[in-house]
Parts: sequence; C-alpha cells; structure tokens
Amino acid sequence: MSLKSERRAIHVDQSELLCKKGCGYYGNPAWQGFCSKCWREEYQKARQKQIQEDWELAERLQREENEAYASSQGAQGGQPSLGFAKFEEKKSNEKTRKVTTVKKFFTASSKSMQKKDMKEPKAPSPSLTRQYSIETDRVSKDFIEFLKTYQKAGQDMYKQCKLFLEAVQHKKESNIEELSEFTQDFYQNTADKLQMYWKVPPNKVEEAMDQIEKFIMTRLYKHVFCPETTDDEKKDLTVQKRIRALHWVTPQMLCVPVNEDIPEVSDMVVKAITDIIEMDSKRIPRDKLACITGCSKQIFNAIRITKNEPASADDFLPTLIYIVLKANPPRLQSNIQYITRFCNPSRLMTGEDGYYFTNLCCAIAFIEKLDGQSLNLSEEEFNRYMSGQASPKRHDSDIWDTDTCPGVKQMHRNLDLLSQLSERQERIVTEAKKLEKDLIDWTEDVTREVQDIVEKYPLNIKSSSQALASIDSENVEDDRLPPPLQPQVYAG
Amino acid sequence: MSGQRVDCKVVMLGKESVGKTSLVERYVHHRFLQGPYQNTIGAAFVAKSMNVGGRIVTLGIWDTAGSERYEAMSRIYYRGAKAAIVCYDLTDLSSFERVKFWVNELQNFEEHCRIYICGTKIDLIENDKSRRQVDFHDVQDYADEIKAHLCETSSKTGHSVDELFQKVAEDFVNYSDFQVQTEPKGVDLTQKRDLSSYSCCHH
Repeated sequence: MSLKSERRAIHVDQSELLCKKGCGYYGNPAWQGFCSKCWREEYQKARQKQIQEDWELAERLQREENEAYASSQGAQGGQPSLGFAKFEEKKSNEKTRKVTTVKKFFTASSKSMQKKDMKEPKAPSPSLTRQYSIETDRVSKDFIEFLKTYQKAGQDMYKQCKLFLEAVQHKKESNIEELSEFTQDFYQNTADKLQMYWKVPPNKVEEAMDQIEKFIMTRLYKHVFCPETTDDEKKDLTVQKRIRALHWVTPQMLCVPVNEDIPEVSDMVVKAITDIIEMDSKRIPRDKLACITGCSKQIFNAIRITKNEPASADDFLPTLIYIVLKANPPRLQSNIQYITRFCNPSRLMTGEDGYYFTNLCCAIAFIEKLDGQSLNLSEEEFNRYMSGQASPKRHDSDIWDTDTCPGVKQMHRNLDLLSQLSERQERIVTEAKKLEKDLIDWTEDVTREVQDIVEKYPLNIKSSSQALASIDSENVEDDRLPPPLQPQVYAG
Repeated sequence: MSGQRVDCKVVMLGKESVGKTSLVERYVHHRFLQGPYQNTIGAAFVAKSMNVGGRIVTLGIWDTAGSERYEAMSRIYYRGAKAAIVCYDLTDLSSFERVKFWVNELQNFEEHCRIYICGTKIDLIENDKSRRQVDFHDVQDYADEIKAHLCETSSKTGHSVDELFQKVAEDFVNYSDFQVQTEPKGVDLTQKRDLSSYSCCHH
C-alpha cells in the first residue's frame, strides 16, 4: 500500500455515469439512468401514454356501459346523470369557495397592509392552516413584516405566494418532479415580475426571493421533503450503509491535507462535521445550503492552518469527501434532492453556495463510485477492508479511531509517550556508562602519556645565565621622558 | 454574506499544479502565492465584480480539482458555465495534452461555454528559454481551430492576467446581449400563462 503517490485515477466506466439516452450529460439513478432533461422527456412521454391509455380505457368502458344501457332500455337511466350532478355540485362548491378566497384577498390587499388582513385569507383553506406550527407562524409574520418595505410589490408578492401555495395543495398527488418544476417556474416568474414590472433593483429582488423561498418552503417542506412517491429514502439508506462500510478509509488514502493533531484543526473538523449534520434539521433549502457553506468554510480554515496557505480545490474536495465519510450525515440523498428541486436556481447554479453544493454532490458521487484503485489499494485489499476482515495499518496519530473516547485516546497517546521515554532513558543510561568508561580510559591514557614523556625527556634543570634584571632595563629611552607632572595650586 | 449575486460562471480547468489557483489569486488579490496568507480562507470560489463598458459584471470563478481521479465528476462542475479557462503549464507538455481532453469535453457537453486556453508560468521561460515545452504557434493553431482565445500568463509577475479576465467579462457581456434576444423570453410567456390560467379557472 503506497500512500505516497499523489495522482490516482478513478476507474469508473464513463458510460455507467452517462445518461442512458446518450445525450452526453450525466445520468442519475433517481431518473432511471437518464439525465434530468431526458428523464423529463421520457417521463412526459410515459405520462402522455398513460393518459392516452386511461382515456382509451375510459372510452371503452363508456362505450360498454352505453351498450349495456341501450340494451337495458334506460331502466337505470337516472344513475349516471345523478352522479354527474353530484360531481357538478361539488365542483361549483369548490369554485365559490375559491372565489371568496380570492375576493377576500383583493379587499385585504387594497387596504393598508395589516397583519390581520393579511392573515385572513388563510382561514378559508383549512387544509393549509391545520398543520401550521409555531415556526411557520413566525416565518409568516416575518415575511409580512418584510414585505411591508416593498409596498405595492409586496402585496402582489404575497398574493402570488398564496396562489402558488394553493396551487400546490391541488397538485399534492402529482409527481415530485412536476412540483419541482412548478416551483422553479414560480421563482423565475416572480423574480422577473419584480424586476420588470415593479422595477425593484436587482439586489432587492434577490433579498425578496430569499424571503419568498423561506415562506413557501417552510410550508411545503413536510410534503415535498423525501416524499413517499420517490425512492429517496431507500437511497438515503444505501448511502448511509455505504459510508458506514467505508469507515476504515484514512485521511492518508484520500490525500487529505489536514493534520488533526493540531488541536485548532481538529476543532474545525468537528465543527465542519456538526455543520453538515445540521443540514438535515433545516427546512428551507437556503438554510441547508448555508450549512454546507459553513461546513466548507471550516474545511478551508482547517486546510489553511495545516498548510499555511489558502486552499485550492485540489485540497478542498478530498477533505470534503473525508468529512462526509466521517459525518455520515442523515438523509443525505433526500437533502440533496430537496435542494436541487426547490432551491432558487439562480443561487444554486452560480453563487458561492452553489459551488460548495456542487462539491458536495461530487463528494457523494465519488463515495458511491469509490473503489480500490481510487484509494490506491489493490482490489483484494479493498475487498478485505470492505468485508471487515482486515483493517488497514494506520499512521501513528491514527492508531485509535477518532471516534473513540478522547480520554482513551489520550491515555494511549500517553502510554506511547511513556514507552518512548523509557526507551530513551535506557539509551541515556547506556550512553552514560559508556561515557564513564571513556572518562576512566582517558585518565589512564593521559597518565600513561605523561609518564612516557617524563621518561623520554627527563627533568634537567639548567642554571639561568641572566640574573634578574630591572623591569625597566629594556626601556632605553626612559631618560628623555619629561619629568612627571607636579601638582600645582591655583588661587581660587 | 455568501449569497453574492453572480452573473457569469467561470470554471478553471487544468491538470494539478499548473497554477489555476495562483492565477485566480493573482487576479483577485494581486499577489502571488508564496508563504502564509491570513486574509483569504480559500481560493476555490471567488466572486469578482468588474466594469465592462459601464456595466457591472460579477464573475463567479470556480476552481476545480485537477486530479485525474475526479475526472469522472468534472462535468458536474462545468455545467452551466459561461466560460472555461483551461490552463496548462508552459514548461510541461503533458499538461497541454490534458487541455485537449477538457476542450473536447466542453465542446461536446457545454456548447454555450466559451473556451480560453491559458498557458501559465511564462516567467520561468523568460529567464530560460530552453524550458519552454509547448510551442506558442502550435497552440495558436489549435486555439484557432477550436475558436478559443489563447494567452500566456504569469501569476508571479501578473503578465496578461487582468487582460484575460477582462476579456472573459467583455465576451460575456457581448455574448449575453445576443442571447437575451434569442433565448429565454419565449419560455416565460407560457409559464406566466400557466399561473394565471390557474387563478382564472376557479373564478
């Protein structure tokens, strides 16, 4: 297992990822292997076909019934028309109810924007009001407060949102992709209207769109998050299991440029994990995105501290993958789908949030397709790790899984340290002994050498030829020096 | 706040360590990455506003991971991009080979994305001409063939960096004016009708 090499190839057959129709975009299992566009087309086709078939069936039944009716000579003639009358009645009831709603609406909006007036239109539609929580109420209040700053345009926006919500209520049974498209259209139209018709400046439009998204998605969340009609939940579980099975992946395998031994960095890693997990608890797509962005910012900080320079995408993506693996965020797939379907597209496609979101999608795609080669492991090794038969040797700092209790981790670290210390101490003792021996040897050597020299050059005292001379004898020119200065007394 | 409005998505493509990040860093912060920096937390995404003929255009610049193991995912990155700056290292022939891969991808799957081919690290060549591995005229021919804009830059000295991004923004303005007339408006009308037809049918 050589972890040194930096460059690896992911070995996923391109064709597996592409749209089944061969349009060149990536397919998605959620859309049965089509890309979003082809899936929509396919879906529409299938739906048209279904409608056609239903219609044909209905017609055939009608014909059969007519024949039966003709043969029975109108014995039960009243039945169908009665049914129809009932239906008619129901429909007209509904109509009048709608009319009152809308009427109330107009009267309300023509007056000054008062909370009471604004809230009233909710009443006629009990199915909507029933499930409002405190949070929802708070959001609506905030929304109304916010809209006041927009005056006329605000009234119109509120109206549009209400109409939209009611429309969604009626579309409850329809497919989630349709709802998504409907919502996206709504965003688009509202933004256009604000800008073109109400002449709201672009930055204010942006702000308003955020508020609108918050308002409508708080209400729709329950119905459209991880809906039963899709297999989102199943996929959540698949991803979750997959991540759990990959628990043995180490930062080294992914070449993650983050050193968790630095306490500050490990704090940031924990925060990043918390952020990404928190995403599931938010209701509004934008808030979910904010969680992803928060997580990404923590990652960037962690990389910056480890590497001492700003992170590039080459550092960021592996780290994000690692964080996702460590966090195993709940309902990951559902959250991604929900954001894709119901977030304001202008935010998702280009802005900073969109960038991090795209990275998260990439990280998930990578995790799903991950194999031995993308971690630089042999197929065999990879399979053994996956099946839990073996666990890879880890780096010193990672002998203990980061999931274990920090106390235990600390203890093991201390034990390591202690054993290292005792080893060093032993080394010192042996070195000291050696030094002692060296010292003794050295004294002996010196003594011997001195004796040798003494023997070689025996002490021979010669009588000195020159008697002790006066110190100044060498200073020949002393006589020429000026006489020493004498102290003089000045009158003072 | 992070939700800055962005008009034009620009993706940076190129092999690892050709200097994508440095290029962005030089353009946005006018400095060359050497040693520690405290002000930026990352150079992976940057939004930069600029003035093009009196109009303010905000470029959202997306850095991408150049490693081959993420190649399969790269299409997720450049979806919806209006411009792609494909970088190669002038002193590394293999990095130019990879340029062809991305250009090919872009041409096939993101036809509205304009391509800018950008040679990096020209400062290394100015000191020592023998280090040049990729001939300018060869690349120019290639760029002409695929109708891409070509430039050779240095993030260290800032050579041609501002000009490159200015060109991206100008092209975006000129191009999008043209697109507005031809593309999206038709869709809007039908969508509006959808909404209003809903509110009408209940009266």
